[in-house]
Amino acid sequence: MRTSGCVGAIGAGLLCLASAGCSGRSGAVPARVDAHPLPADTMTLALPELGEYGGRFVIGQTSSPKTFNPIMSNESSSNDVNNRLYAALMDYDNGAMRDTFGLARAYEMSADGLTYTWHLRRGLCFSDGHPLTAEDVLFTFEVAYDATLHPAVQDLLSIGGKHFEVSAPDSYTVVTRIAKPYANMLGTMASLYIVPKHVLEASFRRGEFASAYRVSTPPESIVTSGPWRVKQFVQNEKTVIAPNPYWYRTDARGRRLPYLDEVVFLIVPDQNTAALKFAAGDLDAIDQVKPEDYKTYADGAKAGDYTLHDLGPGMTTNFFWFNLNRVREAAPGKKLGATQVDRLKYAWFSNPVFRRAVSMAIDREAIIRGPFFGDAVKNWSTATAGNKTWYTPEVGGSDYNPEESKKLLASLGFKDANADGILEDAQGHALRFTLKTNSDNNVRKAMANLIKDDLARVGIDCLPAPVEFNTLITNLRQDFQYDAILLGLQSGVPPDPVGQGQNTLRSTGLTHFWNIKQPKPETEAEARIDQLVEDNLTTTDFAKRRSDWVEIQKLLNDECFVVWLPTQIIKVPVRNRFGNVQPTVIPHRLLWNIERVFMKARPGRA
Amino acid sequence: MRTYILRRLLQIVPLMLGIAALTFLLLYLAPGDFLNTMAENPQISPETLEAMRRNFGLDRPAYVQFLLYIGNLLRGDFGESFSRHQPVFAVLREGVANTLVLAVAAALVTWGLAIPLGVWAAVRQDTWVDRVLSFGAFAWLSVPEVLSGLLLLLFAARTGWFPVGGMHSLDWDGMDAFGKAFDLARHLVLPAIVVGLIPLAARMRQMRANLLDVLRLDYVTTARAKGLAERDVIFKHALRNAINPLITLFGYTLGALVSGSFVAEVIFGWPGLGRITLEAILSQDQYLVMGAVLMASAMLVLGNLVADLMLAAADPRIAYE
Repeated sequence: MRTSGCVGAIGAGLLCLASAGCSGRSGAVPARVDAHPLPADTMTLALPELGEYGGRFVIGQTSSPKTFNPIMSNESSSNDVNNRLYAALMDYDNGAMRDTFGLARAYEMSADGLTYTWHLRRGLCFSDGHPLTAEDVLFTFEVAYDATLHPAVQDLLSIGGKHFEVSAPDSYTVVTRIAKPYANMLGTMASLYIVPKHVLEASFRRGEFASAYRVSTPPESIVTSGPWRVKQFVQNEKTVIAPNPYWYRTDARGRRLPYLDEVVFLIVPDQNTAALKFAAGDLDAIDQVKPEDYKTYADGAKAGDYTLHDLGPGMTTNFFWFNLNRVREAAPGKKLGATQVDRLKYAWFSNPVFRRAVSMAIDREAIIRGPFFGDAVKNWSTATAGNKTWYTPEVGGSDYNPEESKKLLASLGFKDANADGILEDAQGHALRFTLKTNSDNNVRKAMANLIKDDLARVGIDCLPAPVEFNTLITNLRQDFQYDAILLGLQSGVPPDPVGQGQNTLRSTGLTHFWNIKQPKPETEAEARIDQLVEDNLTTTDFAKRRSDWVEIQKLLNDECFVVWLPTQIIKVPVRNRFGNVQPTVIPHRLLWNIERVFMKARPGRA
Repeated sequence: MRTYILRRLLQIVPLMLGIAALTFLLLYLAPGDFLNTMAENPQISPETLEAMRRNFGLDRPAYVQFLLYIGNLLRGDFGESFSRHQPVFAVLREGVANTLVLAVAAALVTWGLAIPLGVWAAVRQDTWVDRVLSFGAFAWLSVPEVLSGLLLLLFAARTGWFPVGGMHSLDWDGMDAFGKAFDLARHLVLPAIVVGLIPLAARMRQMRANLLDVLRLDYVTTARAKGLAERDVIFKHALRNAINPLITLFGYTLGALVSGSFVAEVIFGWPGLGRITLEAILSQDQYLVMGAVLMASAMLVLGNLVADLMLAAADPRIAYE
């Protein structure tokens, strides 16, 4: 029959397409030759293994970068790429968790801690071969301080509300003068990526800097200062970066880095597809794995010729807090200074003893066994056990003790008068609150459900309410329609909990979640924390900074401003054919040292 | 006919304005704005957020924002994407082309299967062939697109026969024209199956019913009485008349396939309009969302127009003034 013949032909066509299987991958490429002389001031890296040129590393990304302009980029898909394309005067070693030199080969700090003199390496070049000098650093500062552009990096480049005074006595020296000593100075200088004045000045003067180096810019016109340059961009498909042929870092043999010919950021919409693509060999590593998948990855390691690297406790924290916010702007029906939750709930939530009782009702071991499948640790701070520099094991919190929790609640006058299993306060109001979290995060939703069960055991009726992320943010920042919210914070680079987290710690901060933008601190503890943050940020004495940090955490935890929840242990799979791989818990977990990574075997794979 | 086309095209303008107004209203009523995610970052100060809000024009009253947008739209300016600092039209252009590629491939799957299978089912009416085909088509119809997509992705990963999502291989740029066409076809197969098989059941049943209707007509009996071979009766006489109503449906289906491909695009990582729209909605990239909605609506409306014109072309009894 003709119809069945037609169906047969379509089927045969599909089989023909299918039978091509995975044969479409390219073979070897000619070995790269380093065509340009090394700069006078190179930086030699001590690497575990000396590598060879060549190869490609493919990693997944959930969405395409939005811009290749490092000053204007402010979301992770752009930053993941741009942080490879641009370099700053200083750098950060994720592995050792310490500051290192970048485009500057040295710096001096004046005795009063206010003047820094930065010495640039001689012979530095942008990816187009144009010399990189102090002129470019001055231009980058000018852009960063522009009042109209107001890029996010401007916040880091201010201390005591004042910009740095920047000058350049010669082509290789930059002097920055600051108003007060600044603890995070080195980290700050690692955050300001230097952009080429000779390319971008014209668009800046025209007021078009924000749209310069957008993704539609031809890759060859994007001149970079870092180890990589853009080779190709295909929207929603991939971004390919290739070595900057003028980069200044070398291995011990004097061979210029990076080793790899290409790093490909392949757009993979979600973690499930990423897992399938990794299994199919399309990805060489995955930087975000759900704890429930760890076992599957561990079991498949041998067959897939990869290693599941156990990085220990991650830097992302999980916690919830109660709404202690007040009306800061009068509106119809809202009196200035009135509490955002009703007075009754405010009376419960504002009492540290109540918050401690809640914290002590939560069985964190059960949470670790449940949503985290055993791969998590208890955590009591924004500096988790994964933070080698700032973790302070001496700081603890109010851990699981349901009996003590019940006693604390009884001491506040709560009792179950009507024997329905839910406590009531002295006026007979049932002890009930909602716990909101973002609905797209399954681990948080599961934690909220376990918290509900735990709190029910001490007589508190907690109602988990997953809501869409944007609604949640509106709730916590604009309309304050919530009792409690469960969220998490990620760490920045460097993971300095005070420097990076000051907007959370300061009572005036926009992310001081439980009571944002306070005109003056409402509690003694918050007033003291404000002072400690200020002291901490205006000294460069690490011992002093550490003792301030310990006191800040103790104050936070004594008051139970936030109820801490466990932190996930991070594991990432990486193919074994790559050398010098050193994943870290600090972002970017896999690419921070990608200039050192090399391919052990030649391309062409099984 | 020309007047008719012109009138239809002019009708699109108020329709598009209505869609723009509705989209703007929905976005305005949705909680938060583009700066929400940034506001969550402790490293970004309130002053920076305010400056950004000012730069994006989000500090102006909603009606001012809307009127400015409509003014620009009438001049052909779709605005600028907040996140990409790039004109919306430029962002959407490639996505639209990729979505059309998928929609056309899906249409080929739908019609390439619906017509022969419908004919087969009709000539074998009430036999096991007819029942198996109907059961299969309806069974697939009842599987959600998300599930069928993920199952096919799993199939691709397990067997290695097809690529796991995406539109091109990494080595696409180094391929010759034939290699590129072949590579694109391999990437198209699974998403086109997911999108194309959804309307299959309905189209196949329509083909079957149309053919059965025609087969009962007198001229078919006459043809058979003349002693024509059954094959000639069906393919030369009956099918040509039976296929007529389906031509109209083709235009409508094309429009529907464009919007139907959005889910598949997200699952398969197909770089089309659907992915861009979803990302824009999640990040509340206002003008990009509006641009994407307008584009998708335009494709749907134009698909319907094409359907009407095809109907007129195919059936001399229909004439538009």
